[in-house]
Amino acid sequence: MTAADDDLPAPRGIRQSMASLHTWAGLLLGWILYAMFLTGTVSYFKDELSQWMRPELRRLAQIPDQAVVAQRIADELGKVAAGTSRWSMRLPDARNNSVAAFWLTPTRDAGQRAFGDAYFDPATGRKVASRDTLGGDFFYRFHFQFHYMPVVWGRWLAGAAAMFMLVAIVSGVITHKKIFVDFFTFRWRKGQRSWLDAHNALSVFGLPFHFMITYTGLVTLMALYMPWGERVAFKTPAERQQLAAELSGFIQPGRPSGQKVPLASVADMVRQAQERWGQDNVGRVNAVHPGDAAARVAVTRGEVGRVSLSPQYMEFDGTTGKLLTVRESVGAAAETRGVLYALHLGRFSDLETRWLYFLVSFMGTAMVGTGLVMWTVKRRQKLPDPDHPHFGFRLVERLNIASIAGLSVAMTAFLWANRLLPHALENRADWEIHAFFIVWLLTLLHALLRPAKSAWIEQLWAASALLFLLPVLNTLTTQRPFWHSLSEADWVFVGMDIMCWALALLHAVLAIRTARQRAGGRSRRDIDRRAPNIIASGEVG
Amino acid sequence: MNTLIHRARSTGPLISRIVAALFGGYALAALGSVAVLALPTSKPQAVLIGMLASFAIYAGAVIWVFAVRSALKAWAGLIIVGAPLSLAAWSVA
Amino acid sequence: MSHLLAFMLCLAGFAALAFAMRRHQRDVLGGPLPPPKTYALRVAGGAALLSALGILVTQQGWSLGLVSFSGHASITAGIVYCALAGYMRIRAGALGVYPPERKT
Repeated sequence: MTAADDDLPAPRGIRQSMASLHTWAGLLLGWILYAMFLTGTVSYFKDELSQWMRPELRRLAQIPDQAVVAQRIADELGKVAAGTSRWSMRLPDARNNSVAAFWLTPTRDAGQRAFGDAYFDPATGRKVASRDTLGGDFFYRFHFQFHYMPVVWGRWLAGAAAMFMLVAIVSGVITHKKIFVDFFTFRWRKGQRSWLDAHNALSVFGLPFHFMITYTGLVTLMALYMPWGERVAFKTPAERQQLAAELSGFIQPGRPSGQKVPLASVADMVRQAQERWGQDNVGRVNAVHPGDAAARVAVTRGEVGRVSLSPQYMEFDGTTGKLLTVRESVGAAAETRGVLYALHLGRFSDLETRWLYFLVSFMGTAMVGTGLVMWTVKRRQKLPDPDHPHFGFRLVERLNIASIAGLSVAMTAFLWANRLLPHALENRADWEIHAFFIVWLLTLLHALLRPAKSAWIEQLWAASALLFLLPVLNTLTTQRPFWHSLSEADWVFVGMDIMCWALALLHAVLAIRTARQRAGGRSRRDIDRRAPNIIASGEVG
Repeated sequence: MNTLIHRARSTGPLISRIVAALFGGYALAALGSVAVLALPTSKPQAVLIGMLASFAIYAGAVIWVFAVRSALKAWAGLIIVGAPLSLAAWSVA
Repeated sequence: MSHLLAFMLCLAGFAALAFAMRRHQRDVLGGPLPPPKTYALRVAGGAALLSALGILVTQQGWSLGLVSFSGHASITAGIVYCALAGYMRIRAGALGVYPPERKT
């Protein structure tokens, strides 16, 4: 890789231009990208995280009969969401021990739409008696729409970051001319060179994934980012529904008749779907106008084992229970979109594949992290006065600390808040999230106030300690300590504890390595003295 | 004064490129996503093809803008590709 | 089971490919291998990777198989990489090529 210059003088080789583009496209939204990558990475286990964050909810030893559960929850929704024009539930499966349901709340104002949602216990059909929490869905939502801002703004910001990432990937590949010669190359103790080697390795090994995840990320929200074709092509709501039908299994409600007819047996409908797709392979049950003569019910296929999120569902008449249509295919472009969407979410995967997703995504996070740190490492040697760097340098350096080490602390603090906040607290779920942001802000303040190297070390140690003690906290505050989970073969809780310790170890190693970086003992200035030597430890990826 | 002119001379093309990349690139992608409606497929499929391909067009445009030798060339390239796309888009609008 | 087999094949494949590169022959083996051996390593490495892909695709179908394969490839390449880097580090420390880190 050629050295990147900061300014763009006119006549230069394409490789230099691409190097500059790579540097700046990567840096400008790099902190956001890092946060998106890390929270997205843990979201591959969001269902497990949600289980851990609702410890009152018992583990499902085996998946209950989805038909029975569907009927039970449908009955409950008839009471909880009486008069709604639509409800939808996700049935329990191997990864979900509760039934998540949402419904449109009836409003007088026709233009307004408001949703209610709740988690139900598949065994009793009642709303789960569990602490109020967003669970793993917080990280999941944060990674594409952030928080404390209108959802649409957040999604546009995420889209911009993803677009910068896409440009950074393409320009990075063009820049890195010795991509195959340097394969497997790592040079120790070469300062910037070592960082570059690590950054290259993380990027090149995971390249198919990084490219896929970035492009498919844009695809997940493409109707928001590129609405122009749709606007030009479709003039009427009916036409727009044609498109919607290609994308999702949420059937469109027609007009209600106003005549009250009870909903036919949902269990029978789900049984038919089970016969078609497999016992545990029913995804959602969506109803429109339940309790009305015009009721319709769609039972969708589960997501496991098929790399596509294109809608596949059986549609039933809601009053007679008669099967109306089976929809199992969409147009070629819609199917392409369904595959790309599924590739991003990875919900189709078995446990092994999910771990592969997690690990390679983790490599992607480390790729962004090493890239950010490299910006400072590269520039430190060129500083006129290394002890008093200019403002831009200090800003990047401090933001790096808070967004890399600080994010680990804040994410762990979120889990601590889940265990520590009193159950009776009003808006408890919101306060868990506030705790996350308050701690993150504190790490930024800490990074601004302390010398950079100390800030790195202290925050990495803080993250390590919080992670290490989280299983202890879990033991003290819940009925599900490690040994208990182990004897019950409760792998979600066992896995969570072990992951905490593994990550605590990782952060400790990073902290130790950062501390060992010589503080000015070497004359060669190209050795990075402050940033954590993430890759040199060989622990990441 | 001289330094100001010099500064404008050196940063002007860079800003021009950044604008070309951010907005010109998006415009080109948007044009492309509308132009595909001229393809002989059903409307929903054409709309989806346009959306799916738009990000590749955008990324390609940004790379182009920074790869060529001058800001002028960058804009020229965008316009040369944009013209037929506009025609196609015009025909379906 | 196909996951484990594919993983091992990818690991072996990337190790072979690494040793087919002159830099790593020099660094680890102390000198370049004769061209036929290098060539054989390259072919063996490629064959191992392809057979991993073949196993995954026949077991899981094209869509799932390709996803699993790219995951295994990324992880195993990373492992080979870390192993090589770790080996160089230990050896360099033992030979005193550069002074070992000061223990604090």
